[in-house]
Amino acid sequence: MMFRYEMKKVFAKAGTKIAVIVLLAILGVTCGFAMDVSYVNENGEAENGYAAVRQLREKQKEWSGILDEEKLQKVIEENQRISATPQAKSKDYKENNIAFSWRQGISEIRELLNASFMDEFRSYDYYKADTLMASDASAFYENRTVLLKEWLSNEAKHQFSDVEKQYLVQKYEALKIPLLYDYIGGWTQLFEYVSTVIIITTLVLGYLVAGIFSSEFGWKSDAIFFTTVHGRNKAVVAKIKAGISIVTMIYWPVILLYSGIVLLYLGADGAVCPVQADMVGWKCFYNIQVWQKYLLTVVGGYIGCLFISFLTMLVSAKTKSAVVAVMLPFILIFIPSFLGNIESPVINKVLGLLPDRLLQISTALGYFDLYKVGGKVIGAIPILLVLYSVLTILHVPIIYQEYQHKQIN
Amino acid sequence: MELKLSGVTREFQDIVAVDHVSCTLTNGVYGLLGVNGAGKTTLMRMLCTLLKPSAGSITWNGEDIFTMDNRYRKLLGYLPQDFGFYPDFSVYDYLLYIASIKGLRPAVAKQRTDILLKQVGLQKERNKKMKKLSGGMKRRAGIAQAMLNNPKILILDEPTAGLDPNERIRFRNLISELSEERMVLLSTHIVSDIEYIANEILLMKDGRITMSGTAEELISSMLEKVWSCDIQKNKIDSYMKAYKVSNVKTVQGGAKLRILSAKQPTENAILETASLEDVFLYYFGEKVDADDVQI
Repeated sequence: MMFRYEMKKVFAKAGTKIAVIVLLAILGVTCGFAMDVSYVNENGEAENGYAAVRQLREKQKEWSGILDEEKLQKVIEENQRISATPQAKSKDYKENNIAFSWRQGISEIRELLNASFMDEFRSYDYYKADTLMASDASAFYENRTVLLKEWLSNEAKHQFSDVEKQYLVQKYEALKIPLLYDYIGGWTQLFEYVSTVIIITTLVLGYLVAGIFSSEFGWKSDAIFFTTVHGRNKAVVAKIKAGISIVTMIYWPVILLYSGIVLLYLGADGAVCPVQADMVGWKCFYNIQVWQKYLLTVVGGYIGCLFISFLTMLVSAKTKSAVVAVMLPFILIFIPSFLGNIESPVINKVLGLLPDRLLQISTALGYFDLYKVGGKVIGAIPILLVLYSVLTILHVPIIYQEYQHKQIN
Repeated sequence: MELKLSGVTREFQDIVAVDHVSCTLTNGVYGLLGVNGAGKTTLMRMLCTLLKPSAGSITWNGEDIFTMDNRYRKLLGYLPQDFGFYPDFSVYDYLLYIASIKGLRPAVAKQRTDILLKQVGLQKERNKKMKKLSGGMKRRAGIAQAMLNNPKILILDEPTAGLDPNERIRFRNLISELSEERMVLLSTHIVSDIEYIANEILLMKDGRITMSGTAEELISSMLEKVWSCDIQKNKIDSYMKAYKVSNVKTVQGGAKLRILSAKQPTENAILETASLEDVFLYYFGEKVDADDVQI
């Protein structure tokens, strides 16, 4: 009963209704962006919509399978063949578009070739693949580690300790090769906007839960609340439960709705491919598959969202003000983005463990944030997941204590 | 049943809001009378466990109320001066929610809510949102929530403040009706609120209980008598300065004054029967609220 009414207090507010409508509207727009995929047909004309998605998927599916030397050679040869056509050489962009339409099937593997055969670890050349010969394919996987080692001993010489450097090289070498390649357009587009969805959901949830504790003071109902039998115990638990429920009941439907719509439309193929089988994840040192990346992203987002929401509730209980509390998620999410411009190893170490990283794990998987825990080097992601799970749980007794001993002047 | 206050003091930085208050309350209606800022609300908040005393103790049947914690709050019904509520809740939902945090089982909560809605005359408004109620209706909903757990101790802080005369009378009668077999402590700065319903009146000034007793005892404790006299208009100011004047009524050619004085202030002054309003003036040196005189 108490829990039901706590939920009602939140959802009866006009502000809550508006916030949920805004969230759904943003979700709709974001889905629209994520589903906006174009395909160039054989006449060099761009097509959009579901037919375009199907065509592109079909083209790329033709190249799915183990990305071994033989396949890479075929891709290089196919790329050479297309590059040699009059359409590719033409200065007319329409002709170029026709050549591009032939390349769409191999475009993702071509990107991987660009990444592998870069001159430097952090450089990028879109036309690098066009310079390759079939015989170069044998160096495809080796290049990844070679470039890393070069980078670690030159540009990033002072950025990592020897143990950390060794850890990164080990991780690179531990990648199971050859990679399994498949069309992963659905996942790529999903990851492109998933952090935006998680961040906006967190901000909206921060707004919703900010009033759970402070509203009692705003409405001046605190005096009655605290003089009741359960006002300092079970009713506080009901408030905490309401906070968890609101976060859970909004976060998961929003994320699953977004994922469902994008994957249903663009396809969920390639879930078991390693994240390195895509240009975005090529340099990633976490040897995981695409479905694991998704799981980490959404679970990490949930933990981050819960943590920020709980911190918001704690601040609202302590300050008795929803205004102060509602600003907290904005500070936690946006301030690190500004600090990220400062080139300092110490600041970077701190930034790597801030809760905003949990809201964007799909991106954070690409960062080389390393920490030493108990003498072992470990990436930031597992630390973030454990650290913020513990901190979130720790919030419960702190909020409870804060409200239990509140005095009303 | 005994609520005992022993040397209860509450300080806020350098202000002493409640200063060594000691008294014992049993069954019946107690009126806590004092001017604004006398410390009534602070004292009541301590009795409701909302504030801890800086010094002294409050016991219920010999046990410290803060040690009793929930057991004490189970006995308590409280209507604060600034009665806050959940604006988007209906009256019925509001009462059911308060019943739930008061520990009433759902079936009992519904039963009590129905009874109290009838008793406070809000049956027709049960589905109305709290924010849509009039001031008087809100206060009635407030008293209903305080009564949900059938409390042994009912604390009402300025329950009639801001109500129109009709609502105030209605509210007074309601409190009187609810006061059987419990201890009711009613704070107010409006004399007539407690004149009719309080068995015992506690006068509070500057954080201290300066006097207590029945209305009659308080009246007889005054060392000055109450006089009424007609004076010329141009002499009003000098009389106001020389005496404690509890009422000034303008009449043709002058004014009729009600004066507290040990000696007869004028030759034509007539001795009057003292009232609680005169006691208020006598002890606090201030006149009762003007709006109270209407009732």
